[in-house]
Amino acid sequence: MILTKNLTKIYSNGVVALDHISLTIKKGEFAFLVGPSGAGKTTFLNLLIRRELPTSGLLAVNQKNLATLRKSEVPLHRRSIGGVFQDYKLLPQKTVYENISFALEVIETRPKEIKERVFSVLELVCLLNKANVFPSELSGGEQQRVSLARAIVNRPLLLLADEPTGNLDPDTSWGIMDLLKEINKRGTTVVMATHNREIVDQLRKRVIALEHGKLVRDAPKGGYTLET
Amino acid sequence: MKLRTFPYFLREAFRSLFRNSLISLASIAIITIALLLFGLFFLFIANLQHLGKLAWDQVEIRVFLEQEYHTPQIVGQQLAALPGVKSVKFIPKEEGVVFLEQILGEKNLFSAEENPLPDCYRLSLTEAAEPAEIARRAAALSGVEEVVYGQAFTRFLQLVLRLGLVVGVVLLCLTVLAVLYLVINTIQLTVFARRQEIEIMKLVGATNAFVRWPFLLEGLMLGLGGAVLASVLLTKGYNILLQQLSSYSRFIPLLSGIGINRTLILALTAMGLCFGGLGSLFSVKRYL
Ligand SMILES: Nc1ncnc2c1ncn2[C@@H]1O[C@H](COP(=O)(O)OP(=O)(O)OP(=O)(O)O)[C@@H](O)[C@H]1O
Ligand SMILES: [Mg+2]
Repeated sequence: MILTKNLTKIYSNGVVALDHISLTIKKGEFAFLVGPSGAGKTTFLNLLIRRELPTSGLLAVNQKNLATLRKSEVPLHRRSIGGVFQDYKLLPQKTVYENISFALEVIETRPKEIKERVFSVLELVCLLNKANVFPSELSGGEQQRVSLARAIVNRPLLLLADEPTGNLDPDTSWGIMDLLKEINKRGTTVVMATHNREIVDQLRKRVIALEHGKLVRDAPKGGYTLET
Repeated sequence: MKLRTFPYFLREAFRSLFRNSLISLASIAIITIALLLFGLFFLFIANLQHLGKLAWDQVEIRVFLEQEYHTPQIVGQQLAALPGVKSVKFIPKEEGVVFLEQILGEKNLFSAEENPLPDCYRLSLTEAAEPAEIARRAAALSGVEEVVYGQAFTRFLQLVLRLGLVVGVVLLCLTVLAVLYLVINTIQLTVFARRQEIEIMKLVGATNAFVRWPFLLEGLMLGLGGAVLASVLLTKGYNILLQQLSSYSRFIPLLSGIGINRTLILALTAMGLCFGGLGSLFSVKRYL
């Protein structure tokens, strides 16, 4: 699913955000991406969704080399990926329903199918009663769930979640985690960047730890730190 | 791009117009003002040009024949054949006397036998005529005694008309550019307000063409809105002006009627649509 070899990202201001990362993530895996602030987690996710280009090294997603992916192929590549962003990225002028259906309109799904799918994910994230509400009228956890719903509505092969539990209380966080586990169980590969020690330690999934852009640990059923 | 997606584009464009109603209204207002400026200028220049042409129509060349010249018809045919001559009017010396008597306010100036006036032709000119050239060639015809026309005035009028045309066209082009600039900048603001939307559309896999369409439609609608408002204001305002002027005096022959309105509305609509559409495409490009 994801294959990197000596993947390096140096921003134009000279910051080395990723430094010779080599790893593979298989289809159907669930991986946590951990590390202190500035370690390069978001950068890694941004490379996967091709918001950024690698500086050097190999990066392949779905057997496609992202370094050489043509611009016209980027939309297609992104349609196979769902993204949950640190800042939700919901559109304030659109209702919850529209924020989600939007992801399907963009890939020109049939209107009838759009309706069915949006309602089915809304049900999954327990927001059916908020379909016609605007994001500003939602709590942080609800916005996060809308963002998650939008990410999975087109049934992506790969789900990238950047701190989906940031700023959320423990109960809501666990609610999100249950959703992610459920989505993963249905076959979607999940990569989640997080600072949430409790969640990582309890779930015992694969842990990929970055520090200053370097891969410092890659443990199959790891904890948030080496000791845990 | 599938055909069934177009209703979605239209819906999106309308939705965005109404949900960002403040920005939409402000944009339409600015586009209207820009187009109004153009329209006023257009009317001004069109009328100046029109008045100049009316003045030109008054210009005439008088060709006096030699006394006792017996075949004035031949001269008349030759004069009519000169390039730039619109029409030729023969004024026999008997009529000349009548004119002169009118001007001088006297009666029975000369008896028919001792009338010293020559027969005369009056030439009226086409727009492209060169009065000096016509006068020169008329004077060279046999039977012609003298050619008279308001040389200084004609030359002045000619200069004003030609210069006026060039200056008018240049200035009009400049206003068009100014309108383009204003409209593009305005639309850029509406797009700027929605740059996040573009980013998210792209993140969920929208193609550039897909992102452009709703914005293009929205730009066209804003442009059209501005054009309609400007057209209504200008044609109504202009008609009121014409009415007011005609009630004060009949001697300001401004352009009037459907013709000028139609040209104006066409120009405004074309500009509104083109610039609105272009402005959108141009503005969206920066965020793609
Ligand atoms: N667009 C950018 N241009 C330049 N430098 C950047 C850019 N984005 C990130 N960086 C730098 O790259 C490094 C890694 O940033 P990144 O956002 O990947 O960290 P992170 O692990 O996601 O941190 P956090 O946990 O705080 O979200 C940081 O030093 C950051 O300043
Ligand atoms: Mg980050």
